[in-house]
Amino acid sequence: MNTSTPDNNTIPTRRRRRGIAGWFDALARVFRREWTIVLSDVGVMIFFIVLPLAYPVTYTLIYNPEIVTEMPIAVVDNSRTPSSRQLVQTTATSPSISIYAQCADMNEAKDLFARNKVFAIMEIPYDYDKRVGRGEQAVVPMYFEMSLLLRYRAFVSAISDIQIKLVEEITATRLEAVGASTLGISGMPVESHNTFLGDRGQGFASFVMPGVLILILQQSLILGICMLRGTSNERRRRNGGIDPLQIHDAPVSARMWGKLLCYFVLYIPLVIYVVKCLPEMFALPHVGSAVDYLLFLVPFMIASGMFGFLMSNFCTERESGFLVVVFTSLIFLFLSGLTWPRYAMTPFFRLLGDLVPATWGVEGFIRINSNGATLGEVGNCYTSLWILAAVYFLVAWGIQVYVNRSVRPQLQPESAK
Amino acid sequence: MNTIKREIRRMGSRRMYFFGMVAVPLLILLFFVGLLSPGLPLKVPTAIVDYDHSELSRQVTRNLNATELIDIDRHLESYDDAMAAIRRGEIFGFFVIPVDFQKDALAGNTPTLEYYNNLTYFVPGTLAFKGFKTVSVTTAMGIVKSKIQALGVSDDVAGGLIQPVSVAQHPIGNPWMNYNYYLSPSFCLGAMALMIMLMTVFSITMEIKNGTSPQWLASAHDNIILAMAGKLLPHFVVWSVICQFMLSLFFCYFHFPCGHLGLLSIAIELFVIANMAMGMLWSSIVPNPRFALILAALTGILSFSFLGFSFPVQSMYGAIAIFSYIMPTRYMFLIYITNGLNDFPLYYSRFYFIALIAFPFVCALLLPRLKRACMKPVYVP
Repeated sequence: MNTSTPDNNTIPTRRRRRGIAGWFDALARVFRREWTIVLSDVGVMIFFIVLPLAYPVTYTLIYNPEIVTEMPIAVVDNSRTPSSRQLVQTTATSPSISIYAQCADMNEAKDLFARNKVFAIMEIPYDYDKRVGRGEQAVVPMYFEMSLLLRYRAFVSAISDIQIKLVEEITATRLEAVGASTLGISGMPVESHNTFLGDRGQGFASFVMPGVLILILQQSLILGICMLRGTSNERRRRNGGIDPLQIHDAPVSARMWGKLLCYFVLYIPLVIYVVKCLPEMFALPHVGSAVDYLLFLVPFMIASGMFGFLMSNFCTERESGFLVVVFTSLIFLFLSGLTWPRYAMTPFFRLLGDLVPATWGVEGFIRINSNGATLGEVGNCYTSLWILAAVYFLVAWGIQVYVNRSVRPQLQPESAK
Repeated sequence: MNTIKREIRRMGSRRMYFFGMVAVPLLILLFFVGLLSPGLPLKVPTAIVDYDHSELSRQVTRNLNATELIDIDRHLESYDDAMAAIRRGEIFGFFVIPVDFQKDALAGNTPTLEYYNNLTYFVPGTLAFKGFKTVSVTTAMGIVKSKIQALGVSDDVAGGLIQPVSVAQHPIGNPWMNYNYYLSPSFCLGAMALMIMLMTVFSITMEIKNGTSPQWLASAHDNIILAMAGKLLPHFVVWSVICQFMLSLFFCYFHFPCGHLGLLSIAIELFVIANMAMGMLWSSIVPNPRFALILAALTGILSFSFLGFSFPVQSMYGAIAIFSYIMPTRYMFLIYITNGLNDFPLYYSRFYFIALIAFPFVCALLLPRLKRACMKPVYVP
């Protein structure tokens, strides 16, 4: 490939062709050059290829058990009667709960609690049997470990099921006793039925992964771009202010789009793997139409790339990207509203989130992928991504033009040698 | 001593140190505290689809709106409209009251209330679920109660009839179920661990990249342990200040529940040292900036998942859960839960403290390898 010989481009030469054709010619040259640079740089290839391939798999494996079952609890039965034993048995049948120990008193149970052996204590009061027998309401205190919201939620949901079961067992006999059965009341007069949308199994991986996949795509692209830019800056410093591997006679915009096109082409198979194959491999929700979400991801990748160009201005060295980019994953994860809903954020944080491509990418992708929305129904996200792409392009372009203008004059004599 | 002076000069000479050690940690702290300060995202936007339009169905709607968890911000005509609103992301759940609900309920025909929650967003979906479930159960109980009372049964007995056993829930340590209490400390700890590891690796491997590592060793008479101690001491001082500031922000300024603040502030010092030791370990395993930084970033980011504050370690696959034991953050988090949130004595967290203390000693085993690399610095791009 003759374009890869550096001396061809070290000195800014007269543009070969002018106008639109010249622009596209420059674009093509930048594209070819970037392609060779990327493929020959192992570090960048790790970010561009290995990261999107391996990282989602690791992540899904962590969360793949999906739901929390068999959470150990301790029972302190002060009543020790057939009816309290029935309560314990009913509790033990719940799939979310397993009875780790029957303790003699609360101190013993508290000790297990403090050792992290059990995550809840059920204390059956001594008058439990008496109250149930008399037709009064028996109150059973239960103490929960609160270090994990997920666990608490599973407990609460299991407990309310147990309560409903007990109501069915006990109330039916009691109603008969007061003669209410003649009214035709047997159990509840109104039933309720609940459906979880999007994540029918209530699994944790199914909830978190679709969003994380999108974030991984954005971050891997930005990391790669930052490393390329840092490396280019190092080359520039070594070579007296000119990076010999850049196409210098190409206009700034052609340089940016040429590079972006290169990454875009590289990412096509990766995006398909990440958003289509992975959810199928791990049986994560995937009810959306592939055409819809792939089309949706086009502006997402462009916006992420342009955002990456902007971020790369902070990278003076090859390794700077780690320090500049890695921690932002956390912030972007939160801004996307995946763990903390966006409607509950203050306007400032919502605005901050609006500026990150992943926020719109995550939201739109989840709705298409998990809720089965069409591209039209995520129109607001789709439009926002195009707007972000345009804004970041203009800003990054402006900075680049400004930098070139302020740097060139002093370096011209050196490079002309 | 020379090493310390040298390191302070190096830290002052590059903006990256200020950025990574002061700016980023403070930014993250303010970010989480600012973002999560509402505690729990109440008033989830939801919708109601009322096919009945009766007195009872309006009552149910009012009850739904009265709970603090949900906000019925729109009345939709049909199930299809509601599903479309879900797909457009306008609501996180909806409640359906069937045709002839009032008539059937009073005639004993057991109509079914349906409710739908979008669990693709976990927290709002769960809160909507909780709100809907509560209201549907209380509606049913209200009807039973009024029927029984019509028979002339007293209020007390009626209560016992409807709900013979009630489980009184006592969430220990965080009765407000304030989401911020777990999320802020655990995420900020994770973020600190990440930045401490990255900056330590950065500082060590940059010596190798720039070929200044022999000079660094020479400043400590070629003793790698002294050289390392001298290099990391200034870092340690900065990180201590930052981390103590973090603790004071959470527990003194925002008054997060905390039992043993003294223990926590000792633990956080050990935590800083343990994370620096991890950074040292990565630099010894691969004495090259890029690979060592990849290892540090990878472990730093994955530790957020392994901490087990989003998904419990106990429920992970065994082969994966084992990684949580090599993360200092995991121990720090357990100490926070045990001694801070749950207010148990030191006895119950003694192993976590021992583990944190063990990190620097174990990680120092590979230092001779790092020394060899430092004597003959080779930079692999």
